[in-house]
Amino acid sequence: MSVLLLLEQTLNGLQLGVTLFLIAAGMTLVLGIMNLVNLAHGSLYMLGAFFAASFTQWTGSFALGVVFALAATALVGLVVEQVVMRRLYARDHLDQVLATFGLILFFNELTKIVWGPIALFVDVPAVLSGRVELVPGAPYPVYRLVVLAAGLCVAISLWWLITRTRLGMLIRAGASNREMVGALGVDIDRLYMLVFALGAALAGFAGALAGPLYVVEIGMGDAILIKTFVVIVIGGIGSIRGAFVAALIVGMVDTFGRVVPQAIGLPAAVAEMAIYIVMAGVLFFRPTGLFAARG
Amino acid sequence: MTRDRRLLFIFGLLAIFALLPLVASALDQEFYIGQVRRVLIFAIAAVSLDLILGYAGMVSLGHAAFFGIGAYVVAILHWHADREVLLFGLVPGTTSSFVTIPLAILVAAALAAVIGAICLRTAGIYFIMSTLAFAQMLYFLFVSLRFNDNDRAYGGDDGLRFPGQTHVLGVIDTDNTLAFYYLVLAVLMLVLFFGHRLTRARFGLALEGIRDNERRMRAIGFSTPRYKLVAFVLSGAIAGLAGALLAFHEGYVSPSLMHWTRSGDLIVMVVLGGMGSLFGPVAGAAMFLLLEKFLPDYTEHWMLVFGPILVLVVLFAKRGLIGLVDRRTDETRGRH
Amino acid sequence: MRPVAGTEPLLEIRGLVKRFGGLVATDHLDLSIQPGEIHAVIGPNGAGKTTLIAQLMGEILPDAGTILFDGADVTRMPTSARAQAGLARSFQITQIFPRFTTLENVMLAVQAREAHGIGCWVDARRDATLIEPAREILAEVGLASRADRISGALAHGEQRQLEIAMALATRPRMLLLDEPMAGMGKDEAERMTSLLGALKGRETMLLVEHDMDVVFALADTITVLVYGRAIATGTPDAIRANPDVRAAYLGEDATA
Repeated sequence: MSVLLLLEQTLNGLQLGVTLFLIAAGMTLVLGIMNLVNLAHGSLYMLGAFFAASFTQWTGSFALGVVFALAATALVGLVVEQVVMRRLYARDHLDQVLATFGLILFFNELTKIVWGPIALFVDVPAVLSGRVELVPGAPYPVYRLVVLAAGLCVAISLWWLITRTRLGMLIRAGASNREMVGALGVDIDRLYMLVFALGAALAGFAGALAGPLYVVEIGMGDAILIKTFVVIVIGGIGSIRGAFVAALIVGMVDTFGRVVPQAIGLPAAVAEMAIYIVMAGVLFFRPTGLFAARG
Repeated sequence: MTRDRRLLFIFGLLAIFALLPLVASALDQEFYIGQVRRVLIFAIAAVSLDLILGYAGMVSLGHAAFFGIGAYVVAILHWHADREVLLFGLVPGTTSSFVTIPLAILVAAALAAVIGAICLRTAGIYFIMSTLAFAQMLYFLFVSLRFNDNDRAYGGDDGLRFPGQTHVLGVIDTDNTLAFYYLVLAVLMLVLFFGHRLTRARFGLALEGIRDNERRMRAIGFSTPRYKLVAFVLSGAIAGLAGALLAFHEGYVSPSLMHWTRSGDLIVMVVLGGMGSLFGPVAGAAMFLLLEKFLPDYTEHWMLVFGPILVLVVLFAKRGLIGLVDRRTDETRGRH
Repeated sequence: MRPVAGTEPLLEIRGLVKRFGGLVATDHLDLSIQPGEIHAVIGPNGAGKTTLIAQLMGEILPDAGTILFDGADVTRMPTSARAQAGLARSFQITQIFPRFTTLENVMLAVQAREAHGIGCWVDARRDATLIEPAREILAEVGLASRADRISGALAHGEQRQLEIAMALATRPRMLLLDEPMAGMGKDEAERMTSLLGALKGRETMLLVEHDMDVVFALADTITVLVYGRAIATGTPDAIRANPDVRAAYLGEDATA
């Protein structure tokens, strides 16, 4: 494999990785703090993409489209949290799986009604549609670099939020010991609501950015959901750091997994299975993931 | 009292299933026989899931993988027999159900053993997610299987239609609607009987103990991973059997059988019917599939309604159809 | 029957160490318990008593040291294997099967000590070989009248009795009792004390307890644990008189 191809694939892998991180971060926080399995998290990603497509069209500006999409998705998240999730925190995981499964069906159908059944194609905004030569002779799409940069910015912001603010401290405490946080006199309801909304916003943001890269269609949430699960299992529940590392791993493995096996003569089927094989390997040695926040 | 009401419900249901084809034939509505037969096949899969979900408390989002692999074993063997090509270059295909069905069960069991061995090392959410991921892995495998880089093997995501007439047990022609129906019903009753004996026996008691308090079970001396693995493999094997029957029923298999949303459907069937009751999931399967078949006739957007209904059922009517029959809150009664 | 000195100890702990990050929960602990002995472990909160039981039972693995049970090294054995070898435990926070009846709870414990197989076609809930021994145990702990109640609905004290019943039902060589009196009112505690007293001599016990009345009434030997270290081991009288113990622990408790 040529060095240029290697560079290109590496960047692709990192970009996929940060996208996965944005989605996984929200999910792992909700799982770690509220002990809530939310299968409908992928639906929030999907909504973010659809919202962005529409808002971009209405406002004529991609940037505005993304901002509004983020806000809209966060709002949807808030509503869902108040109406459904709130009642699920005390339930066991099976109930949560079932209820959020029902939410997926609902959101998929709602999206079909509002936006129609056909996939949407979102153009890369003109100002970001060029290619840039990071290394002479290897042009790389500017947009993908922007996504990568945006993702890293969010990751750093999240890191700052988690480690340097009071909210972050509560989040970390909540991830490892829920009861203690309540005992500290913190308004648990509000904390949960904020965390869920934050997760929704992150997923929506990821979806909005993903629009120009991948097709905006109804099944996109389900497809990314599985990869997100793989990230969380590998990274460890409740750990942002784990989600980051695991997301990059999964992003790289998935990207290279599509290129390498065929290059060295393995059947193409291996490409799809690559990330699951890695997950199986991690589970075998560390059944609670690489960085599990809870003992 | 409660026990009698339950028995009445169960026998009533089975009687309906037994008589239905005769009634349908008489009324010239043979289409429904095929529909109900499909319900019975899914009921077998749902019952197998109840064994681990309702009794041992294992939330597996990968059960459809075993269902699907059972179907594919049958389809693949038939395909190879028809093309006269050797499977893996070694094994000749066959259309003999004396080979295909046991093999479907065995392969499903083997797959469950492997997936179980890895996933059961985890607990709680990790278990749910890892079973989900492995099922998806299998789905992707069948979608992207290729012969020599170009030829999609076994149809890829278009699925595989398998050729010609098929005979089960050498005598029952799967095109014969009635005979095949009663065969499927017989299998369901056999599975229910076997499942009932098993769950009433010490093994079933232990599984329920694991669901109630696994930590305590270990402290009194039960090797819980072993119990869970055995239950997982048994349940996978029966799902494989159901898959094989589905292959005969449809004459067609596709990777979507193994998609994780299919696993979700199965869980819904179990919970709708009443988990941990073994017979409830039969009713649950009926309700789910019949809704799925006939609601779209009323509104194209039935999912918009079904989704929230599911949420409401989970929040307020958790014990399912069997729960409606039971209506028991008596504390001194003891469990059945 | 008093513990016979000079015989092989049933349980022997040598140099047991357990750290959680910077915290040393078990600090080079040595302990040995003779067959038939009731050995109490007392100490202030945070002394590492529950951690000790967790290590003895295999729920936590020690960082260093050995645990010998009946001569065999069980240090790294899985919990269920230790239970099969004859160690039984009762939990500080009640761990029963809340959806089962009281009788069924004990039946499960009885079932645990028999062969584990899949082939049994007998209805377990009507199996006399499980029911009879379970009823006997329930009678022994005084829960016979509660046999058919759902265990989740029992009073707290009754649930604690059930804890003991389940431990006894596995016919153990040794009992590890983690604060059996936890959360009990005066009457309940008296009943539990006489129950345990009736077992004295028959059962070898490691008893972790805060209630000093119970400890001094039942124990043959007492070990005082402070910050994971055994600061004194001896007969109840010796411990009562020990100045280090008074300073570290008994001074807080006016009941001694």
